[in-house]
Amino acid sequence: MSYLQYRKLKNILFLGSLYMSALIALLPLFLILQYLILKGATSLNLDFFLHDPSPVGEAGGGMRHAIVGTLYMVGIGSLISVPIGLLCGIYLAEFGRGKTAKILRFTIDMLTGIPSIIIGIFAYILIVAPLQSFSALAGGFALSIIILPIVTRSTEEILKLVPTHIREAGLALGLPRWRVIFQIIVKGNFKSLITGIMLAVSRAAGETAPLLFTAFGNMYLNFQISEPMASLPVQIYTYAISPFDQWQEQAWAAAFVLITIVLGINLVSRALVNNKMIIGQSKRVINHTRLIRKKKGN
Amino acid sequence: MNEKQTEQKVTLATKDLHAWFDDFHAVKGISVEYPEKTINAVIGPSGCGKSTYLRCLNRIHEEVPGAKASGEVSLLGQNIYAPHVDPVELRRNIGMVFQKPNPFPNMTIFENVVIGLKLQGYSKKSYLLEVAEHCLKKAALWEEVKDKLNRPGTSLSGGQQQRLCIARALAVNPPVLLMDEPTSALDPIASAKIEELMTELKKEFTVIVVTHNMQQAARIADYTSFLVLGELIEHGLSSQIFTNPKEQKTEDYVTGRFG
Ligand SMILES: Nc1ncnc2c1ncn2[C@@H]1O[C@H](COP(=O)(O)OP(=O)(O)OP(=O)(O)O)[C@@H](O)[C@H]1O
Ligand SMILES: [Mg+2]
Repeated sequence: MSYLQYRKLKNILFLGSLYMSALIALLPLFLILQYLILKGATSLNLDFFLHDPSPVGEAGGGMRHAIVGTLYMVGIGSLISVPIGLLCGIYLAEFGRGKTAKILRFTIDMLTGIPSIIIGIFAYILIVAPLQSFSALAGGFALSIIILPIVTRSTEEILKLVPTHIREAGLALGLPRWRVIFQIIVKGNFKSLITGIMLAVSRAAGETAPLLFTAFGNMYLNFQISEPMASLPVQIYTYAISPFDQWQEQAWAAAFVLITIVLGINLVSRALVNNKMIIGQSKRVINHTRLIRKKKGN
Repeated sequence: MNEKQTEQKVTLATKDLHAWFDDFHAVKGISVEYPEKTINAVIGPSGCGKSTYLRCLNRIHEEVPGAKASGEVSLLGQNIYAPHVDPVELRRNIGMVFQKPNPFPNMTIFENVVIGLKLQGYSKKSYLLEVAEHCLKKAALWEEVKDKLNRPGTSLSGGQQQRLCIARALAVNPPVLLMDEPTSALDPIASAKIEELMTELKKEFTVIVVTHNMQQAARIADYTSFLVLGELIEHGLSSQIFTNPKEQKTEDYVTGRFG
């Protein structure tokens, strides 16, 4: 075998192993999706979205209450943690050199590593025990602790990629630091920041453990923040280990809906961000050309 | 010429200006006066502290972590390093073109030019467009971009980006303009246009320009400073620096024997 052939062979082997790894990484997602579609989508019907569970033994019923509950509590969690996480991330990226920043960064890293069941216990002690009731608030709070470190770190990483000379360009124009940060750095990376937030939000939407003894669960539709609330993950957990065939089927359906919501959040947010940009820009193009034409007419 | 020097008002003056990066002493006690309506060149071998010096003049140097400066820089008689001076306010009066082109990546060509005005509160589109056209023409870029003002600033070539940055600095109409090697990435024709621009600007403003191009300095600058290793070796009329330098080092450098 000549040297050239040897090198070509090496090349092929290397490329081959890359493709193999890519395939192996993709495989779980496809298998999961396939399973969920086969088992979940087939158990799905309109009632699933429009009705709350029917009593044991009775046919029909749905999971409207859990879908609403999941969105509700993820909403609470995001409301608390997205602003704080964004600001923390901006602080770390733009000013993060001192000791405070070091401690904050360390804390955030620790927070990422805390098992979610422990976050649930923490929320239980902090909110459920004093109020003596499971509640949507406690669930939302637990989810906010999941969301916070992910948003913070993704924000920091994204903003750190912005080269210093862009900041200097802004400062040299006589812009105050906060304007440089918000109107140039943050605005310029809006898309990536949203993607980071969505990643955190969809992570939270799929969590079961933090909700088990905070929001607990509910068989009825609930909008009260101080009362127990159903969520898709907990509902899946409850139904999947039940002995009833119908419940198990509904657990599959719920799993399918949950993953659709999670993927949907991602896709919709991306589409929204992209669309806004495109619309905004085409409008601007029109304005300019009109102005130029007008000027030429004069 | 010397008579002229004495009657001219001094726009910008440095007095014993030092600059550090942590422990590294990059600029060592420079004192120079820049008369109004002049072009002033700063020359010297690579790494001698020209950029650092220039960056002290609008207090952008201190934004680098670990960097500090001491001494005095007075703009129209007022020390800009005095404690009550707001660097943000100050920088509106001193425009800067950086060594590396740095257009804002998230903005269109048009937005890049008018961003300074926009953030100062001007919002009338027709006015902004007029300013953009005016500044882009001055920066010798208008013909190349007039049909694609909505393309991202970063879609331009390196040299075009540099001219975009010049236009951006011009838009806020600063009385002092600092330019760090503005033509090093440009072809001779564009360079000539920028030189023309500087000569134009000189009618109203004070320009301080860092350059590695001796001919350029000799051509356009009224005064030239020569720096080596952070120290000012010689400062004087360009005609004198390039034809009859007092220091041996200057002579060696401008004749190409050193540097
Ligand atoms: N951010 C920094 N941190 C530490 N040292 C720096 C930094 N920037 C520049 N220096 C050092 O300061 C000195 C002066 O650098 P400066 O950029 O002012 O040189 P210059 O004269 O502009 O060179 P050139 O002609 O290559 O642009 C150099 O020795 C350089 O290594
Ligand atoms: Mg330099």
